[in-house]
Amino acid sequence: MSETMTNQNVVNDEQPFNESKHRSHGIDISAIERSMEDLSIDNETIALEVNKLKLFYGEKEALHGIDMRIPQKRVTAFIGPSGCGKSTLLRCFNRMNDLVDGCRIDGQILLEKEDIYRKGVDVAELRRRVGMVFQKPNPFPKTIYENVAYGLRIQGINKKRILDETVEWALKSAALWDEVKDRLNDSALGLSGGQQQRLVIARTVAVKPEVLLLDEPASALDPLSTLKIEELIHELKNDYTIVIVTHNMQQAARVSDYTAFMYMGDLIEFGSTNQLFTNPSCKQTEDYITGRYG
Amino acid sequence: MRVSLKTWFNKGDPWIWINAGAVSISLVMVFGLLLLIGVRGLAHFWPHSLMETDYLGENDKTTLLIGEIVETEEVPAEQLHAAGVQVPPGVDYMRRDLIKTGNRDVLGSDFRWVLADRMRDVRYPKELMTLERREWGNFYGYLVSVKEDGSVVASGSGAWDELQSRIDRALSLHDRIYDIEKQQIGKVNYTLERLRLKERRLELDGRKTPEAMAEIEAERAEQHATYEVLQKDLNELYQEIKRDALVARAMNGKELEIPLSKVVRAFQPNQMGLGDKIGFYFAKIWEFISDDPREANTEGGIFPAIYGTVLMVVIMSVLVTPLGVIAAVYLREYAHQGALTRIIRIAVNNLAGVPSIVYGVFGLGFFIYFIGSGIDEHFFPEALPSPTFGAPGLLWASITLAILTLPVVIVATEEGLARIPRSIREGSLALGATKAETLWRVVLPMASPAMMTGVILAIARAAGEVAPLMLVGVVKLAPSLPLDGNYPYLHLDQKFMHLGFHIYDVGFQSPNVEAARPLVYATALLLVAVIALLNLSAVAIRNRLREKYKALEM
Repeated sequence: MSETMTNQNVVNDEQPFNESKHRSHGIDISAIERSMEDLSIDNETIALEVNKLKLFYGEKEALHGIDMRIPQKRVTAFIGPSGCGKSTLLRCFNRMNDLVDGCRIDGQILLEKEDIYRKGVDVAELRRRVGMVFQKPNPFPKTIYENVAYGLRIQGINKKRILDETVEWALKSAALWDEVKDRLNDSALGLSGGQQQRLVIARTVAVKPEVLLLDEPASALDPLSTLKIEELIHELKNDYTIVIVTHNMQQAARVSDYTAFMYMGDLIEFGSTNQLFTNPSCKQTEDYITGRYG
Repeated sequence: MRVSLKTWFNKGDPWIWINAGAVSISLVMVFGLLLLIGVRGLAHFWPHSLMETDYLGENDKTTLLIGEIVETEEVPAEQLHAAGVQVPPGVDYMRRDLIKTGNRDVLGSDFRWVLADRMRDVRYPKELMTLERREWGNFYGYLVSVKEDGSVVASGSGAWDELQSRIDRALSLHDRIYDIEKQQIGKVNYTLERLRLKERRLELDGRKTPEAMAEIEAERAEQHATYEVLQKDLNELYQEIKRDALVARAMNGKELEIPLSKVVRAFQPNQMGLGDKIGFYFAKIWEFISDDPREANTEGGIFPAIYGTVLMVVIMSVLVTPLGVIAAVYLREYAHQGALTRIIRIAVNNLAGVPSIVYGVFGLGFFIYFIGSGIDEHFFPEALPSPTFGAPGLLWASITLAILTLPVVIVATEEGLARIPRSIREGSLALGATKAETLWRVVLPMASPAMMTGVILAIARAAGEVAPLMLVGVVKLAPSLPLDGNYPYLHLDQKFMHLGFHIYDVGFQSPNVEAARPLVYATALLLVAVIALLNLSAVAIRNRLREKYKALEM
């Protein structure tokens, strides 16, 4: 019995592998195809607007006045060397930095024209609207079902029918449903790293956020799982504004429509991914993407 | 190849040996301790053979001696000589035996030291009998006859079987008497006392109307009627149990009439086979853990002490867990991590080092005399001047021990909270949960194994404490159990018995220390077993929680 189970698992694992190999090839093609269409930030609806954002850790200034506009229902990638402030900036979008002692913010971040740092903002509500997925998969030590239902339960939704529907829908959105539908009541900790990360994405999607922040979502995963996550990002951008931090430039090139290059707490260059990778306007960007430093 | 000392040292081998040695010593000590109290305690219940001998006294007169050999030791001849004993020349050491001769009512004392080489003709007659009695300790001697209403019904060889069946009858009568006295009349008394308090209460409140009084009087009359019936039953039972008696001859030749109502058990140890002895042994052990104590705690069982210990520890755990967890959550999650928090944390840690008797004094002064008296004045004025909560009792003992163990729970919980990965908390917050929701739904469940660790440590500490309990609620002999069938079932104001205090009391306060010594070991063994059992159940709960939330190993 257990032998056949393992066999099945192997088959399950292999099947998407072939598919993703095929698809990953496709992503590269689409990247080239995308070079043909002319993406410009001026033609986009803006989801998030950052105005003169400065961030201090105690006395130390970590972000030096960032201005940026993040387009709706597109994938925006932040790249840059370690410690350049890309994760810090990302964590400003759902006020995750509030948890850090001595962290102070100057400037504005507008979500749908509303400053998320103004007084009286319900931070919990904001985080519901701006979901976040972290570098390491962090499922709760609960069942798969309860992990996905967590955000809904927090909102006070306890009707079994609604929960069932949403869990199924979210797991399908995260391309995990087929793999886990028979063991929804097993512990989420029994899943593989890649499955866990997709579960976390499903969990985030389940509360129907407007913006998805992905903080190096694939850096702790093997190449196979990475490809699956990238595929998923492609699917999700139809419905969500996605901001992804990555230190993998190929990944940024593959998944994003827009890319921001940051260095030492400054935004050096922001543009469509195609333009930034093929024809960077800054010398620093060019040096970084060609691997001369970083 | 020769390995130089230096390489051997650098490879770390000596450390392994030293570590292994330390572990072995610890293990040997633990097992040695358990073995010692186990052997000494458990051997007590084995039916010892009864010895009969002609003992050559100081003035060369032989006397008959009957009893069990309890202890044997070699004594320097000089010491005996100095004590006035005639010592044969050329002997350095002499064997001395401690004989339990029982028959305290006849001989004045239970034990006697005798010199081994003065015992002549040691024999083990099959007819020798041990009687366990409700008072005056064991009786050793020969059965002469069995009497009913003063006239002999059996003597000689048939007497033994007759005795056994009549003892069974007396025991069942005794059980019924016990049931009526303790349970039913106890209940009537309890109800009457409550009625008295009710009446007094009405009087204090100025609501002592004739209607209310009539109601109380009616109920009182009802209780009195019940009591009359019970008392009549009881008198009949007493008449019945008085019917039989036995006559037995002690070692000094005196014949003694012993009513069967005073006999717990009669047996002839020299006649018992191995199977009988094993059966007897387990019956005795069962009696020890399930019966009430007799004869100033030196005989019988220790059930009320086990009951009190477990109940007190359970109440203590129920009190200390929420308190400690809430304090730890505040210190770790909400308090600003500054100098003040650090000072509080140091203070909490140091509380664990305060001698426990100090907690006892605090409990007595603050809880009992201050809070307890206050409660009495405001809520139980009808019982005054006799205190309800203004006297040592179960509640105050539990609270005092809860405070004593609070630091342990706080420290363990704090460590558990600190070990929850930040990423899990952030994951919850990022889904729109507030800090409180995150704590309640994710962090606390995940920290629950650590809390259980704290509770386990608390239980281990609290169950073994005796000193503070002597001030805040433990007694030598409690008339009733603190949890029984009388409303409101759990009597938090009652005093209770405790295994640890029982050891102290039996071992050092008992009128008959020699007889009680094996019981000290047996009780100690039982205390260890009870603590181990409480701990194991807590460990089992913790392991289940750990299995459930094993994300920490990520």
